[in-house]
Amino acid sequence: MARAVLVLVEHAGGKVDSVTSQLLTAGRQLATQLNGGLVALVIGHQLDGVVGALKISGADKILRVDDPALASAAGEAQGQVIAQVARQIEPRFLLIGYSLVGMELTPAIATLLGINAFTNCVNVEMRDGAVTVTRPLFDGTQHAHIALDESAVIALQKGSFAPLEPSTKEAAVETVAIDSMNLPSRSQVLAIIEEPAGDVDIGKAEIIVSIGRGIGNEDKIPIVAELADALGGVLACSRPVVDVGWLPRERQVGASGKTVTPKVYLACGISGAIQHLTGMRDSHRIIAINKDPNAPIFGVAHIGVVGDLFEIVPALTKAAKEAKSLRD
Amino acid sequence: MNIAVCCKSVPGLVTDLKVGSDGKSLQYQSQLLAINECDEYALEEALVLKKAHGGQVTVISMGGIKSQDVLYYALAKGADKAVRVDCDSHDPRIASTVLAAALKKLEFDLVLTGTQSRDTLGGQVGVAAASLLGLPFAYAVVGIEVRDEKTIIARKELGGGRYADLELQLPALLCVQTGIEPLTFVPPARRIRARQQPVRSFSVGELGLQTEPLAPKGYRILSVRPPERLHQAELLQGSAQEIAAALLTKIRESV
Repeated sequence: MARAVLVLVEHAGGKVDSVTSQLLTAGRQLATQLNGGLVALVIGHQLDGVVGALKISGADKILRVDDPALASAAGEAQGQVIAQVARQIEPRFLLIGYSLVGMELTPAIATLLGINAFTNCVNVEMRDGAVTVTRPLFDGTQHAHIALDESAVIALQKGSFAPLEPSTKEAAVETVAIDSMNLPSRSQVLAIIEEPAGDVDIGKAEIIVSIGRGIGNEDKIPIVAELADALGGVLACSRPVVDVGWLPRERQVGASGKTVTPKVYLACGISGAIQHLTGMRDSHRIIAINKDPNAPIFGVAHIGVVGDLFEIVPALTKAAKEAKSLRD
Repeated sequence: MNIAVCCKSVPGLVTDLKVGSDGKSLQYQSQLLAINECDEYALEEALVLKKAHGGQVTVISMGGIKSQDVLYYALAKGADKAVRVDCDSHDPRIASTVLAAALKKLEFDLVLTGTQSRDTLGGQVGVAAASLLGLPFAYAVVGIEVRDEKTIIARKELGGGRYADLELQLPALLCVQTGIEPLTFVPPARRIRARQQPVRSFSVGELGLQTEPLAPKGYRILSVRPPERLHQAELLQGSAQEIAAALLTKIRESV
């Protein structure tokens, strides 16, 4: 039998992350073409709920590594456990979500196994007989298409695949014992912290007006804030704006901030780094204003304006205010 | 506390990026290399830790002679020593192997890197080097607290507003997140003075590595091209007023 495709299950707080089902879709396509099985690997402690939810996820088999030592294990120990299991299974490919968790684990696992890892991938498919991944380069303005000739770890961006339809057949669950005595203990998780809710919840807004690096200067923020007000929306931003301290973290959209799906997402001066797109690409209508016609944001936008936000935004604010006064 | 900071040199302002004639590589005219922004945050954090706890900061970069500019920049910012490894590879497996070998030549309690480089967007080299060196590690670190000579506490991002606090025994490697410290400005005069400081350089051979295993293997780059877009954005044109009117209509009909 051909070697399996192994999918690493991402979970937190007893819940399976939505990326897992997307990985299973990618994994199922590969497994079918490679004529192998689709195996889901879940590691952690007290996994009854997680494993229960995975049974009809569409995987052929679930490998469960459930050990008290994994309750507070950090990346080093987690990576070693996954590598231990992978050595036993010898999968053709290991699929991981390119989340902050996957970003940490992927290079560790690949290094321990002595194989290549391809991170940040937006696609994996069989092309001309070879498993081929697509991944961005240079701020996402270019895509590389890479054929894989050997086993590899493939870390896929969230949203690259639709979730897998649940299966009517329950997957077999196999418990895998690990050598937990010899796991590294030089790094331990002390606590998980949830960011306290701030003044605004951008996740609840119907209209989000968002700024990025293109705003250029803190003094310019009121220009866009005025538009957000005029449209009855909220002001949000991409990571660089928070990094320089111009807006608080609670306003940040993206992988490390909030994921939002408003009815309108108006991106002003946001180039569209992958971490940002992850947090807003499912918005109902995306409008992008950017000077650079090659900015990746135009790849997800429904409506685009190639131009200077400092000309378009004030004009739009004025139009919105006039329309509002007519209605009032 | 002695800290090694890994800084990649990446093309600076590139306005003429295009796919090469082989269809598999990227070409641009820009000759200017700049410090990778994510790594600059690692450098800032190292300098803040040095100020608080003493020790030396050694900055290390892989690349040809041109990448030395990035090392001078780091010295101007306040790094004590600079090391360049003469190796140019975009393959994360090779880069981490070389970097790990170079780190072995240095004395450090802590290694700091950024999260990813803007050209290859891989984000692998830091954690891969830690794994090769057998160091505990954490990725996307937003805060570092030195507990004692042997232990640090790192807060790392888990995404979606969640964080984990970790205790790590030194030596350890942390990939720091952008924004961990504000970036500081370096006056030009200091940048010029920094060019007089020595930069230690290693060849791959001097690190005890054979060049043959340092060739990429197991994959083939088929092509590099602009992304296929799922749907073409409808582009609005006209005067600012015309565009604003059209946008307002689109926004109104969406809500």
